[in-house]
Amino acid sequence: MHKTRSLVLIVALVLYSLRASATVLVPADLGELAHDAGAIVRGRTAATETRWTGDRRAIETVVTVDVEESLKGSLGRTVQFVVPGGTLGRYRSILVGAPQFIVAERVVVFLGWRGPSYPYLLGLGQGVFRIAADANRSGARVTPPPMIAPAAGAVRLVRGDVSRVPVPLAEFEQRVRTLAGGPR
Amino acid sequence: MRTAIVTTITAEIAEITENRFKTILGVLGVLGETCRRVVAGLVSVALVFAHATPAFAYLKFGVDVGGRQVALKWARTPVRYFVSDRGVPGVTPIELQAAVARAFATWQAVPSASIAYQFVGVTGALPLEEDGQSTLGFLARPELDRVLASTSFLIDQSTGELLESDIFFNSGFRWSVAPAGESGRFDLESVALHEIGHMSGLGHSALGETELQAEGGRRVIASEAVMFPIAYPSGNVSGRSLRDDDVAGISDVYPDNDFTATTGSVSGTVTRNGRGVLGAHVVAFDLRTGSLVGSFSLNDQGRFLIAGLSPGPHVIRVEPLDDADLDSFFDVTAPVDLEFRTAFSDRLVVVPRGGDGGAVEIRVMAK
Repeated sequence: MHKTRSLVLIVALVLYSLRASATVLVPADLGELAHDAGAIVRGRTAATETRWTGDRRAIETVVTVDVEESLKGSLGRTVQFVVPGGTLGRYRSILVGAPQFIVAERVVVFLGWRGPSYPYLLGLGQGVFRIAADANRSGARVTPPPMIAPAAGAVRLVRGDVSRVPVPLAEFEQRVRTLAGGPR
Repeated sequence: MRTAIVTTITAEIAEITENRFKTILGVLGVLGETCRRVVAGLVSVALVFAHATPAFAYLKFGVDVGGRQVALKWARTPVRYFVSDRGVPGVTPIELQAAVARAFATWQAVPSASIAYQFVGVTGALPLEEDGQSTLGFLARPELDRVLASTSFLIDQSTGELLESDIFFNSGFRWSVAPAGESGRFDLESVALHEIGHMSGLGHSALGETELQAEGGRRVIASEAVMFPIAYPSGNVSGRSLRDDDVAGISDVYPDNDFTATTGSVSGTVTRNGRGVLGAHVVAFDLRTGSLVGSFSLNDQGRFLIAGLSPGPHVIRVEPLDDADLDSFFDVTAPVDLEFRTAFSDRLVVVPRGGDGGAVEIRVMAK
């Protein structure tokens, strides 16, 4: 009986194993992202469309965002960018580390681009912050908590630190605007 | 590297309360005095690790098949792979082939896992092409800035079958295969070892400690899992060896005949105000061996299970993943809770051989 329970639990946990990512990253702090981004926008995802790449060798997804506010640069009232992977027919391609988007979620995205192609997210998942309504406090908040470089020296990140919480959207945007205009 | 972690966190020892020691040591009252002292010392180390460092954890990939999630793993082994015929400055195609072969061999050598790999040949194909063959190689993807390497999967959604898995190493970075590493160049074998872990079905581990630097960027101070997602600085070759967490993970996905009989597990729930916590990082520290293995609470009841543990007493610790790129761990459309304080189980959990240590409920408090 005990073994059966264990197996059930293992199965349950496998079933709930979440999509994870498979990338080795060189991490950026918020200042680097803000500085390096060609455009930073807050908006709501309007659509996602998966397709073959131009050379038909890989699958990618075009994400369309209705812009609420441009924090840096200006790409118009609607922005489209690409993320690797997606589902076409019976086949699903995952470049794990590439974030997924659902329609109608609010996000702040840090975008770069090269040549005439679609913009892309800086640092894959590092270039997206998600906005959620805060049930306990007023206004919306941004997650994950942004990484802010210290004024001097180095600061060790300790999980569970009471100061590391999702930040109010207005505070986040103010920081981003300041960092985007400041020196790297 | 554990020494480095201990060194880093020594200053936090004072933050560990006497009560915490007393609670845990009280459980050990049935032990003899000598044994009790030894264990007390180990508990100190455990709490130091647990208090200040990110925990050791592995995460298995799951994919949605017809509305249900199934584990992503290879149905047949050996896993067959090709290596691209392209090199980069500092790494010839032959050196690429040799470096990835060493990394595959490291995973295959885990005695408690049954995974095996087979090199098929050199190919002119590139990684990340959906061509039905698994290819590893360098690729220029300038839009994937800050991504040293990544693994892709092609899956048949109707069956969950893993059809292909490619690994690309971003040729926009400088690479090295030098035995002792090279300054200014990332170690190819270390990064390949991480990516092959993904290719085999492992997600990221949260075991690693980082710091933010005034000049910009975030640096790994220490890591206890190859599957930690942030790379060591260039020139470092510390990532060529698997750690306990990696071994537990690969053995859990591909167990050999004895694995489940000779190891045990810890399961339970993480709750906050009576409600389950999703995405909590849960760590088991073995007091006798010093091994740390962990997992995450992966449903809205806050349930977790850590398998592959050596039998014996363990300290269990829970922490929020509040310093991570959540997309790197979870489907972030799920409401991952980041706003609780680190907490410990209120008792030592004795993991039995071939069984589970019993349900553990860890209550956490809001920040």
